[in-house]
Amino acid sequence: IVVSKMNKDAQMRGAINQKLIETGERECFKELLRAKLIECGRKDQLKAHCKQVIKEKRLEHITVDDLVAEITPKGRALVLDSVKKELLQRIRTFLAQQASLED
Amino acid sequence: MKMEEMSLSGLDNSKLEAIAQEIYADLVEDSCLGFCFEVHRAVKCGYFFLDDTDPDSMKDFEIVDQPGLDIFGQVFNQWKSKECVCPNCSRSIAASRFAPHLEKCLGMGRNSSRIANRRIANSNNMNKSESDQEDNDDINDNDWSYGSEKKGAWGSGETWGQWGSCLPSLSNDQVFGHNLGTNLHSPFPCLCPWLLPFPQTPPCLASPPGPLRCPQHTDEQRRTVRIYFLGPSAVLPEVESSLDNDSFDMTDSQALISRLQWDGSSDLSPSDSGSSKTSENQGWGLGTNSSESRKTKKKKSHLSLVGTASGLGSNKKKKPKPPAPPTPSIYDDIN
Repeated sequence: IVVSKMNKDAQMRGAINQKLIETGERECFKELLRAKLIECGRKDQLKAHCKQVIKEKRLEHITVDDLVAEITPKGRALVLDSVKKELLQRIRTFLAQQASLED
Repeated sequence: MKMEEMSLSGLDNSKLEAIAQEIYADLVEDSCLGFCFEVHRAVKCGYFFLDDTDPDSMKDFEIVDQPGLDIFGQVFNQWKSKECVCPNCSRSIAASRFAPHLEKCLGMGRNSSRIANRRIANSNNMNKSESDQEDNDDINDNDWSYGSEKKGAWGSGETWGQWGSCLPSLSNDQVFGHNLGTNLHSPFPCLCPWLLPFPQTPPCLASPPGPLRCPQHTDEQRRTVRIYFLGPSAVLPEVESSLDNDSFDMTDSQALISRLQWDGSSDLSPSDSGSSKTSENQGWGLGTNSSESRKTKKKKSHLSLVGTASGLGSNKKKKPKPPAPPTPSIYDDIN
């Protein structure tokens, strides 16, 4: 039963992602997030953090994996609460919209 | 697919919230990954650190905000008194006057002094008799400098047109009976231009009116030549301004022309400079009373010949003319 439920969840997420991409909402959300983050200065903060990281490591030996490992937690933490809330709200409305369309 | 969609609508709120959080996390990670790619590319391409400078240089290039200074901290009107050194004449000229000066100094402009200097230098080389210096744009045009160049001075067709009208039917050979081009040293200085290639202007056969008067010869020389060609009786009448110069009739002109032809057919070549012809000429010239060539200014060239012709035809309205200086002395000079 558990396995089937997990399987069902995975299927459902896949379907929702597909819907997001198909309708173009995902690109919309991404663009919105980027604009908001640049607006509130997260990009500059991340850049400063990047410089620190790169200076700690050697310039030539830096890899994308290193950067991702260093940056992603910081980037996640630096998202403002207001931006997070707005984005979540939009995702919820999207989901509700899809559900009502199915009915 | 249909079944899953149905399940989506049937989900409860907590499930929906979990899905939303998941999507949000995906998005944030996406943007972070994009940023990481960006930074990585910048690092590998070497432009990541371009925009950070050390604080010292930042202080050096700080924007200055003070009265009297521009943003670089310089006095902004220091260029007012700036002077440039002319590369041509190595004078120092105020920067605002530099361009006009350069135009003049390098001779590029219309009124440049260099052009003017060149003109002055050229006109000094030219003969004084040149009258239209300022109108003469071509500095190499020496056609009108009579004294500097004997050849071509009378060569202007325009001038010939004026003279040619008075001798319509006579060629040079007819009139003078000598070989053209061989006799470059005529005893008659006025005839020198005649020996140049045709068309040439007949010189001082009759004394030309004021503006066309030959500048090289005096009235006496002109009169001598006139007497030589037109005979002893060819005395110029003193023409009054009231004289009707248009009373030109064919008989007079025929007489003149026949006389001229006779002169030419005889071997009284003016070019035979050293020989017995000269004595003949002298005999011709002797005993002749020639008139002063005082004329009214406005007279055309052919009118002077007309006057001569009418004088031949024993016309009225002649004035007693003052006696001319004796011609033989002139011939002596010539020979």
